[in-house]
Amino acid sequence: MSLDLNYRDVTKIFGAGGKNPVRALREVSFTIQPGELFCLLGPSGCGKTTLLRSTAGLESISSGHIFYGGKDITSIPPFRRNIGMVFQSFALYPHMNIFENVAYGLRVRKTPEDEVKRKVTKVMELVGLMEELKRNPSPSGLSGGQQQRVAIARALVYDPDILLLDEPLANLDAKLRRYMRAEIRRIQKATNITTIFVTHDQEEAMAVGDRLAVMRKGIVEQIGTADELYNKPNSAFVANFIGKMNFLNATLTARGSGLSNVTLAHAGLEIEVPGARNYLPPSITPNTMVMVGARPEQLNIDISKAPGGIEGKVLIIQHLGQFVRYEVSVDSAISSQAFEIDMPALVDGVAEGDRVYIAIKKGKASLYLPEQGQAE
Amino acid sequence: MKRHKLDKALALGEARGLKKFLQRDLTPYLVFLIPVTFLCIFLFWPLVNTFLRAFMKTGNKFNLGVLSLDGFKKFFTSSLYQRSLRNSFIVGFSVTGFSLLIGVPMGYFVARVKMVGKPLMLSLGILPVIMPSFIGAFSWIILLGRQGVARHFLNLAFTPLGIELPSIYGMFGMIFCMSLTYYPFVFLLSHGAFSSANALLEDAGMLMGAGRWHILKTITFPLVIPSIGAAALLVFIRAIGNFGIPAIIGGDQYVLPTLIYFRVNGFWDLNGASSIAVVNVIITGFVLWYQKYIVSRHEYETVSASRVEIKQHGHPAIRIIAMVYCLFILIISLAPQIVIIVMSFFEKWQGLFPEGFTLANYIRIPKNSSNELLNSLYLSGLATILTAILGSIIAYITERRRPKGAGILDMAIMAPFILPGTVVSVALLSAFSGKHWISIGGTYTIIIISYMVRRTPYVYRSVAASLTQLNPSLEEASTIAGANWFYTFRRVSVPLILPGIISGSILTFSTLLQELSTTILLYGAKTRTVPIQIYGAVADGKLGEASALSVMLLLVVFAIVYVTNKSQGKGLSSGFKMG
Repeated sequence: MSLDLNYRDVTKIFGAGGKNPVRALREVSFTIQPGELFCLLGPSGCGKTTLLRSTAGLESISSGHIFYGGKDITSIPPFRRNIGMVFQSFALYPHMNIFENVAYGLRVRKTPEDEVKRKVTKVMELVGLMEELKRNPSPSGLSGGQQQRVAIARALVYDPDILLLDEPLANLDAKLRRYMRAEIRRIQKATNITTIFVTHDQEEAMAVGDRLAVMRKGIVEQIGTADELYNKPNSAFVANFIGKMNFLNATLTARGSGLSNVTLAHAGLEIEVPGARNYLPPSITPNTMVMVGARPEQLNIDISKAPGGIEGKVLIIQHLGQFVRYEVSVDSAISSQAFEIDMPALVDGVAEGDRVYIAIKKGKASLYLPEQGQAE
Repeated sequence: MKRHKLDKALALGEARGLKKFLQRDLTPYLVFLIPVTFLCIFLFWPLVNTFLRAFMKTGNKFNLGVLSLDGFKKFFTSSLYQRSLRNSFIVGFSVTGFSLLIGVPMGYFVARVKMVGKPLMLSLGILPVIMPSFIGAFSWIILLGRQGVARHFLNLAFTPLGIELPSIYGMFGMIFCMSLTYYPFVFLLSHGAFSSANALLEDAGMLMGAGRWHILKTITFPLVIPSIGAAALLVFIRAIGNFGIPAIIGGDQYVLPTLIYFRVNGFWDLNGASSIAVVNVIITGFVLWYQKYIVSRHEYETVSASRVEIKQHGHPAIRIIAMVYCLFILIISLAPQIVIIVMSFFEKWQGLFPEGFTLANYIRIPKNSSNELLNSLYLSGLATILTAILGSIIAYITERRRPKGAGILDMAIMAPFILPGTVVSVALLSAFSGKHWISIGGTYTIIIISYMVRRTPYVYRSVAASLTQLNPSLEEASTIAGANWFYTFRRVSVPLILPGIISGSILTFSTLLQELSTTILLYGAKTRTVPIQIYGAVADGKLGEASALSVMLLLVVFAIVYVTNKSQGKGLSSGFKMG
């Protein structure tokens, strides 16, 4: 029975005392529920792998505490933590056959031979490798997806309290990746072990995780379900990391509890934003520069100028199957980047190079504080 | 404010340090103590001792009270010292120069010209290095000595022109012999560089309209310079530290290693020998530093292997030149082996043909040298096992744990690599002979320790190389699965680095069997080895007996190298590059 995992003010400083200490984790605090499949998501260098390795005990944290089921495990060495881990490279032992690979953790625990057999068989059945177990080849005789399953089986066989997955799908090809992420979710739900899944791929994280934490520069930016993060991103960074968000420079004109008003820079257009979509800190008062955010499907393209339309020029039209993506450049004062706009079908009479008018669908705009580095 | 938080975090971390330390698995630190203690006692202390003795008055007394520069003054007052120093310089630099002249074109030809029998050339090319250098030296006496065969022929050709060949005894012989012994380093390293240089870079040059010669000058050559530089350094270090060749054919020309031997063996003057050793090491150290300095000043791309096939010259003229050149060099450098084999079956060889076919040279071996054979096997075998353990542990610790001071340990362990063998023995003698708490002078122990000190770099390098290729997550996976350090080391690390340990050990064993320069100062009546016996036989003029013993030594070494190459694929012969 897995318990909850709790981080309190976890800080990790690499090269502490040196000239350039790197703060990989900055007072990270949150809780992972028992049996939850939790995704750590973020760009490289955000601290997600450091947090995972700290959980395993492979890195010692500089300050703060990690609790498992209310018990402080911060100072427990890694080999006494009873954790299962799947590495990006799988880290299967080339000098052992797959049975011995999976049995490794049991041998360490001096489990009786008949129980080793029983447990290995059970876990191999769970990951769907019964056929391979009969042949019992060395890991190099397996495909990438099968090696992945062996690695998962090896991590699960001794009933760990926590399962850690470090970019487990990065070494697989795209098709297999999509299949395996469903498999991982199935296996995790079948065992119900509290699990952390580290990835830099937001699509993967959204598909796999019960909840996700988006990290940046050693800080957890936002925690929530895939739906919450996509529909209610509370910062420009999260908004643009989970899916695509177009940003428009604007000035806050009025701020109310129900609606807030902004004026677009130069264009002079007024836009109304629902209070629930206003992610500005309370301290922000009118006459401040802000950003209006809209996802590609929250924008509309028109040939003729409608009220609230922003003039732009179509750069590229891509037909992507379920929708058509338009890349449209606008006045650089509004946005230095071209907009991505997804329309359900081709818009009649619009060709690359044409002049069009863009409007944000009613009630779909969000408000964010401008920040450096929000773009990719 | 933020700064404050950072400080707080750091302070917290320190306070927790002790508790954490006690909870940790301490086995690696305990295991770590063994090699560190060994190095302190048998490497640092002897070296410090030697350094101190270098500043003491002539003799064998260790007296810190009276320091003097007498030992060094001799380099200004004694003509023998001056000549030895000058000879060492001349030998070091000219052997390096000649090795480059011979080896670089050969490396280029074999890598870049269409030829038959390239693999054979590469494996024959390594032979002079595998063979003990002093055996090469005495076989050249047979060929080019006062009544040597080849000299006989060459004089027939040159005397009418008024040129007389210089005697093999002396500077000419030393330089000649060493160049032929050490050119394989240059040949093999430059061959590696020429054949693995990124062909795309040259293709790009060609597409931009550069001619072949221009590409060679502006692209290919600058890219292989680091490899050639490394080879040159290796040759220099080996040449300036070589004892066997100058001892056998130096005649009245001394070099620093033979001068050290002379001071110790003739006068039992350890302090004087230490002064010479320090000078010898300073020269080597300076050249090493200068080479590093040169390389670091230029931004060279590291030569990387690429899948693109390198274009090979196919022009008949250049193919003929290349073939003739390579065969010529190979025949000359392999002549000693052939001569030794022939010689071992005859009583004497003076003039054109060997005379008096006999098997007596071999028949005598069990009677005269069985003790030496057993000694060689015992000393080399035991030293190899201990070296393998020591080298593997140090490699593992420095490579995986990266403790504070790993860099120093790395340097320390590689130090014996550039120290001439005679210097190592002087260091051990000065530290442990006489009335010290650990008196091991003249015993098996001191020889085994000297072997360990000298050969640990072999295993260390070999194991460190296989460790860098071993993904750390394999070990982490074991830790996570609940295994402590020792279990992980035993079940995961060791099995996976075993190939590295084995090849390092075999290299160690096969080079120890032929070790002369360290043993010569440390052996006693009971601890004579085969190379010592050969050296003695040559000194007594018993060339037939020396040859028979050499053939046996060669056969054993070749058999080891051959079997290992067969079972491990390539790789061992390339290991000799560092040896």
